Amino acid sequence: MDLKDIRAIIDLMKKNSVSEFELEKQDFKIRLKRVPNGGGSAAAAYDEPQVAAYGQPPTPIGAQPAAAAPAQLPPSPELEIKSPMIGTFYRAPSPDAAPYVDVGVEVNPDTVVCIIEAMKVMNEIKAEVKGVIAQVLVQNAKPVEFGQALFRLRPA
Amino acid sequence: MFEKILVANRGEIAVRIIRACKELNIRTVAIYSEADANSMHVQLADEAICIGKAPASESYLRIDRIVSAAEITDVDALHPGYGFLAENGHFADVCESCNIRFIGPNSRAMSALGDKALSRALAKRADVPTPPGSEGVVDTEQDALAVAKRIGYPVMIKAVAGGGGRGMRVAHNDISLVKGFHTARSEAEKAFGNSGVYFEKYIENAHHIEFQVLGDHKGNVIHLGERDCSIQRRNQKVVEECPSPLLNNPKFRKLREKMGKAAIRIAKEANYTNAGTVEFLVDSEGNYYFLEMNKRIQVEHPITEEVTGIDLVRYQIMLAMGEPLRLSTSDVQVRGHAIECRINAEDPFDDFRPSPGRIEMYYQPGGRGVRVDSHIYAGYTIPPTYDSMLGKLITYGRDRREAMDKMSRALSEYMITGIKTTISFEQAILQDPNFRRGVYSTSFVDQLLSGARRELME
Repeated sequence: MDLKDIRAIIDLMKKNSVSEFELEKQDFKIRLKRVPNGGGSAAAAYDEPQVAAYGQPPTPIGAQPAAAAPAQLPPSPELEIKSPMIGTFYRAPSPDAAPYVDVGVEVNPDTVVCIIEAMKVMNEIKAEVKGVIAQVLVQNAKPVEFGQALFRLRPA
Repeated sequence: MFEKILVANRGEIAVRIIRACKELNIRTVAIYSEADANSMHVQLADEAICIGKAPASESYLRIDRIVSAAEITDVDALHPGYGFLAENGHFADVCESCNIRFIGPNSRAMSALGDKALSRALAKRADVPTPPGSEGVVDTEQDALAVAKRIGYPVMIKAVAGGGGRGMRVAHNDISLVKGFHTARSEAEKAFGNSGVYFEKYIENAHHIEFQVLGDHKGNVIHLGERDCSIQRRNQKVVEECPSPLLNNPKFRKLREKMGKAAIRIAKEANYTNAGTVEFLVDSEGNYYFLEMNKRIQVEHPITEEVTGIDLVRYQIMLAMGEPLRLSTSDVQVRGHAIECRINAEDPFDDFRPSPGRIEMYYQPGGRGVRVDSHIYAGYTIPPTYDSMLGKLITYGRDRREAMDKMSRALSEYMITGIKTTISFEQAILQDPNFRRGVYSTSFVDQLLSGARRELME
């Protein structure tokens, strides 16, 4: 299955108002979930320059003015959920639905904590760790990069 | 006009592209692996996106991640630089299908020239001579021996999917041919995912001369003169110059024009657009042979820029925007002489062992006619995961003598401590009497090094 096939399936889903599609073969599985208009456009969601939001703040070699970064707790790397991909972060399966997780919720490695949308495909992101959500680090519908911390947890 | 461009590369070429964008008032997005978080191109771009861990296979070669980064930053176009995905037709297609203009040739031109065996066939159609060789891929040991018998030793075994000087070995007789044939195939499979090899007559003591071409979407193709890149170590270019001292020899007066026209025929046969380079080998008799065409901006593009006054990366961007070429080949004036030295983090006294690490002190040369294209700075740590090139030192003079004198002067000023560099090696090349006379070939570096080794041992 390549990008063309995936796009064809998405078009079919749109045309027939299908919101979920799942296909599993021997060594391949794909799940597509449509978010109705208004919630899913990466281009519309991203509307301001985000110098400070991307990754580590630049080393101060004088080349870039330091952009204000939000105050953060000292990181504990083993209790953070980091983004495995690049895309747009969504807290809930759809704009009207409740977020997958919130502060205080206990998660297991298999718990879906958010969606990251890339190239019009919604990817469910699993926690991969066990713990209790202590902080949600990214706002809904904001772009995220590889390795960016999404949630901070405390031990269960 | 493009408003925003994503630079899909790293190191000095990413800095080069960002500079061209800034001069055109185009905003830039840098992508970087975790190992490059402190790299200069990340600092200079308007926005930066981390796309993965250090290995290129998890970052700079990840089409999905690069295109995702392009989408969330809403860029109009993407510049692939050189290496990585620059000559990947599939990547060009994915970009275009996502409405991101790929700054380079279209994927059809890439496929026509991608496979080395295919491009030999293309050269034939364009009536351009190629070195005697196999007609396509050599599949069996029997075929290998038959081809070698027909073209005569020494024979160069090349990977069809190779590039940048990799995947090549020379055989001087049947025994080394059979051994080399099998080894080359398994190496090619591992390195390029394609075990196909083809043969060419190895042309000894040749000059490697390449022509810079530009093509627009209307089918116009021009060339901007040649670069001589014969000074190579293990098929990696070390010093390049423009124009070629060989082609300035009155004995070969007509060669430049003939080769330039051949380069244009090759590009037109491939329906080539944007910037590219047609590579030739020229033997001591003045016979020229087409080697391959590089479908990207090249490392040594600055020397062409210095002698022609044309900004090649800017032209790439303009051509990608759909601008037609407003120059003809005869409009291009080559004035003066330019030389480039590639400065690598390698120890020339320890068989050029790579020397990654932290740069303590950094002072780059300057003054009239000196250009440095580099991404490094004092305090920067060279990651071990990528190539060892620190930057390029380019000098320009009114003639070859002035360019050489400036290069020696500039090399002697260049201070980089904390790591080993090839600066002293390049200084030895610039001081060599044969180099100064302009008399050299692709065997120059080997001869220089074996002479130097003998001296060290005595």
